[in-house]
Amino acid sequence: MATQQEILEAIRAELTAIKVPDADTAQPETTWEELDVDSLDLVELVKALEDRFDVQIADPDLKGIASVGDAIALVERLQGATA
Amino acid sequence: MTSVVVTGRGAVAPVGSGADAVFDALLAGRGAINEEGIAPCAAFDPEQAMTPKEARRADRFTQFAIAAADEAAAEAGIDTEGAVEPSRLGVVIGTGVGGLTTMQEQVLTWAKEGDRSVSPLFVPMMMPNAPAGHIAMRLNAHGPGFSVASACATGSHAIGEAKRMIERGDADVVVAGGTEAALVGVCLAAFRRMGALSREGISRPFDARRDGFCMGEGAAVLVLEREEHAKARGAKVLARLLGYGASNDAFHITQPEENGRGAADAMTAALRDADIAPGDVGYVNAHGTSTPFNDRIETVAIRRVLGSDGPPVSSIKGHIGHSLGAAGAIEAVACVDALRRGAVPPTVGLEQIDPECEADHVAGAPRELPDLGVALSNSFGFGGQNATLVLGAA
Repeated sequence: MATQQEILEAIRAELTAIKVPDADTAQPETTWEELDVDSLDLVELVKALEDRFDVQIADPDLKGIASVGDAIALVERLQGATA
Repeated sequence: MTSVVVTGRGAVAPVGSGADAVFDALLAGRGAINEEGIAPCAAFDPEQAMTPKEARRADRFTQFAIAAADEAAAEAGIDTEGAVEPSRLGVVIGTGVGGLTTMQEQVLTWAKEGDRSVSPLFVPMMMPNAPAGHIAMRLNAHGPGFSVASACATGSHAIGEAKRMIERGDADVVVAGGTEAALVGVCLAAFRRMGALSREGISRPFDARRDGFCMGEGAAVLVLEREEHAKARGAKVLARLLGYGASNDAFHITQPEENGRGAADAMTAALRDADIAPGDVGYVNAHGTSTPFNDRIETVAIRRVLGSDGPPVSSIKGHIGHSLGAAGAIEAVACVDALRRGAVPPTVGLEQIDPECEADHVAGAPRELPDLGVALSNSFGFGGQNATLVLGAA
């Protein structure tokens, strides 16, 4: 099981890789809107998180995911489900 | 009768970025074809024109077009809110082949790693209308927007169709041009396999030794505007877009007809649209690709339309190679500057004029034409599609 910090670092790393400004300082409370992250960015982020944490994120899982913290919680929940 | 004027220019070319810098290089006869026989825009840095995220989301052909459009819009003064009513501002940016860099990379990734590895950015980066979409977002252009494609005639078709858009009353201002970034392995291989590229890696239009074209890349954009609209907002008129003519060879998918009929039809239609006589044309910016076929048959067409004692002729493909869908637009920008400066660039590489390409060629050095009032620019595409623009001094 990855820690919240590890998941946060992975999200920062992927958003930085796809050139999202200020992604390296994103906090759990930072929203996609604040980062100007759109649906295309999320597709890339989802794939990176799936690969990194060995989870599967389906489209319905993304409903209501609006911040870095929401994404951390989602990965934690999916990891718990497969553990 | 609606008059259409040019109020902005932008260019990215292998010899440099910026319309003035490009024309300076053309006049100086400075070329940019490298030892591999291609002319890349080696110094182009997309992050000078856009954010890293915007650059990552744009194929190279879109990056070129954005840089050229930003420059043209700034010169025209349409990049500020309120300069043009958004619904009256259109964008037409053509490309011969679209986002081939992205296409090649993603096909290879897909073949190797499967569906899941295909980028969600693939379609928005590869699609031929991506540049027009990005430019519309940057300029808040709510009027008509799309891409046109006619291979090597694309840039001229885009500018010509934008003229029609203004004449029809669909827009007051149209940001129009062409862009291409096709120096990609699969594309170079394909043109080589067709026998279209110079085996020697030398572009020398109209020269007896020419053996094909050298591929280049780049983009150019003009801001076209209804004359009254330009005057009302105090915009500087740089040149006039007097005429546009288009035609089909309807003969062969890559080869022109020996009698030059299709090319001549486009030139004739453009002169008719401009309502001028052949003798009024003071300079021809030839399609002049350096292929054996084109240059011989274009010469036939020029003679048919403008007579055997026609005006000075030159091609800038000796400098920058053939940038396919961008070529006509870069050449239109060159014509605007030739009219403004009263001088035309030489055809680089032209030393031994092919007897079948006899004309008043400008070679070796630029030529001063202080009274130049009308320039004609030809573009002929694979597919047999031809477009000619006639530009006039302001």
